[in-house]
Amino acid sequence: MSDTTQFRVLDFDCPTCASTVERALSNVDGVQHVEVHYATGRVEIEYDDSVADPDAFAQTIESQGYTPQPA
Amino acid sequence: MNKQSITQYYRKHRKAIVTATSGLLYGGGWSLGYLTSFEMASAAILVLATIVGGYDIAKTAYHEVTNRTLGIKTLVTLAAIGAIVIGEYWEAAAVVFLFSLGSYLEGRTMRKTRTALQELLEMTPDTATVRRDGELQEVPAREVEEGEVVVVKPGEKIPVDGAVVDGESAVNQAPVTGESAPVHKADGDEVYAGTVNQEGALEIRTTGAGSDTTLERIIRRVEEAQETQSPTESLIDRFAKYYTPAVIALAIGAYAVTQNAILSLTLLVIGCPGALVIGPPVSIVSAIGNAARSGVLMKGGEHLERAGKIDLVAFDKTGTLTKGETTVADVEGFGVAGNEVLSLAATAEKKSEHHLADAIVDAARERPTAATDGGATVAQADDTDAGRQSIPDPDDFDVVAGKGVIAHTDAHEVVVGNRALLDDRDIDVPSQVADYVREREKRGETVVHVVRDGDIIGAIALRDELREAAPGVVAALQDAGIETVMLTGDNERTAAAVAEEVGIDEYRAELLPEDKQSVIEAYQADGHVVAMVGDGINDAPSLATADVGIAMGAAGTDTAIETADMALMADDLERIPYAVTLSKATRWNVLENVGLAVLTVTVLLAGVLTSYVTLASGMLVHEASVLAVILNGMRLLRY
Repeated sequence: MSDTTQFRVLDFDCPTCASTVERALSNVDGVQHVEVHYATGRVEIEYDDSVADPDAFAQTIESQGYTPQPA
Repeated sequence: MNKQSITQYYRKHRKAIVTATSGLLYGGGWSLGYLTSFEMASAAILVLATIVGGYDIAKTAYHEVTNRTLGIKTLVTLAAIGAIVIGEYWEAAAVVFLFSLGSYLEGRTMRKTRTALQELLEMTPDTATVRRDGELQEVPAREVEEGEVVVVKPGEKIPVDGAVVDGESAVNQAPVTGESAPVHKADGDEVYAGTVNQEGALEIRTTGAGSDTTLERIIRRVEEAQETQSPTESLIDRFAKYYTPAVIALAIGAYAVTQNAILSLTLLVIGCPGALVIGPPVSIVSAIGNAARSGVLMKGGEHLERAGKIDLVAFDKTGTLTKGETTVADVEGFGVAGNEVLSLAATAEKKSEHHLADAIVDAARERPTAATDGGATVAQADDTDAGRQSIPDPDDFDVVAGKGVIAHTDAHEVVVGNRALLDDRDIDVPSQVADYVREREKRGETVVHVVRDGDIIGAIALRDELREAAPGVVAALQDAGIETVMLTGDNERTAAAVAEEVGIDEYRAELLPEDKQSVIEAYQADGHVVAMVGDGINDAPSLATADVGIAMGAAGTDTAIETADMALMADDLERIPYAVTLSKATRWNVLENVGLAVLTVTVLLAGVLTSYVTLASGMLVHEASVLAVILNGMRLLRY
């Protein structure tokens, strides 16, 4: 089943940083669609909940150097 | 402080701490080298400063490279490593420190832009007092079910969307509609989550809670609007894709030709089009956020950029410049009593949905009617309030679109309509009637004739009061150099009278709904960028035709929001000059930011090529320009 989750990242400091996070998230297993918006800091992830581990999303964002907050 | 809270503090302020440490080391290393001859020590400290400040940057750069995005952090890392390799420790530390400081400040200021909307959401209370099983219970607001009754005390915020079922109060709807004045709410009135109940206790039957409230929907739409790219933004993004690789190629080429490492490393530093890509989104997000807090929903950067070019605003008359509450101003009988004219007209109009019909029927109900002599017979008043007349049904009834109605009652044919309908049916209009009509129309009223069996027996003058704000709004637009036009289905004389009262530049009268579209198209063909203001439902086609469609009173109605480019949550005409001038200011702001960015890059490039600008000064100017465009864009938050 497909599920959607959102985060908010308030500390993006350049538009490319948002695209980098977007690419990193789309490489996480089970992720079907990712949108990361520099302007609003909103991260939306659509994933297959039988494959993806939602905890991995926040970790991925953190490992890129940004602070995810639940939206 | 225990260990855990120190760790937490560090995580929260990591960027600030790293930047400050790198700055201190940089300052220390530089002083040591400048004031003393401990050059080795100075170099070591500067390298340490570079490592401390550069670790996070390099880590992100690594991710950029592995994710195949070419970002500024990759360039900065390359530049810093390059500078250390060629022994320019001071430059390396300075670049890293200035970049960290810049990004820290950028992150902080952008946070303000990003949280501007969140403040609105925090307006909604977390808990609600709900009536369950005959008693009041405090439950999380998100868990209130549709249909449940919520009790809101004076001074409390309303936790759900719903309709008032008991109580009466003044509610401050500013979070949703942007209106500063409280709105009176009584039985049956709609209330929104996040608004503030100011005076009396209210009981509200829930229609939506949690994420299914008007406020949440508005905020979701605003965010979508902020996230859609404007034409300028997509243009710049496409350009930026080629710009950075081009600069890297230039840096390599420059090194190959000149063997000047500092020159090519500096090119890398200024190789990220920072201010250019950051400026426009900040302007647009700030403007859309500001508008949202004032009850104006802008659909996106594209709409906003178009709205910045508006030079003509067309207003639909009814319900936009006027209150849309038509009332009977006068009834004149020609040979019969006024009351009889009114009740006969009311019977004929009873089944009509037209707003003039509603006004006539309401007026007939409110008036004491004595007419029974062959006109309308007064039926049993059992289904009416005391003192209100009931209106008999007509035997049959036909609407002649845009002209009036023809009905039969009590073996009489009754025609209620405008002059066009009378002409169609060859009904003679005596001069006495024509004089009356002319005189009322000069006051901006609309007159319908009442005809019984081919003879005009009376006329009814109807009036739709102007909104108090209308003349001021038109004047404000004119002051801003914008032409104003009124579009109406009214006849020439009525339209002229209303146009004069409002002070509007031009008017177009006797328009059918589809004519309004062609009028707008004609203005567009003349080179105007046209905004059309309407209620978003009846005039949806003309809103769609206009360059910018502005719907009023859109808070509850999704259709209006769908068709419009901008939606005013409240029925508040005064937001129009604000929305139009904000759009203009935004357009300028975007241009300023693009201009500043291009100027900075040009100056930097010239400086680098003439060796006036090196790594550190290049980075300083680059970061300063990014901060400048962010701060300039954020001015729109306080517009």
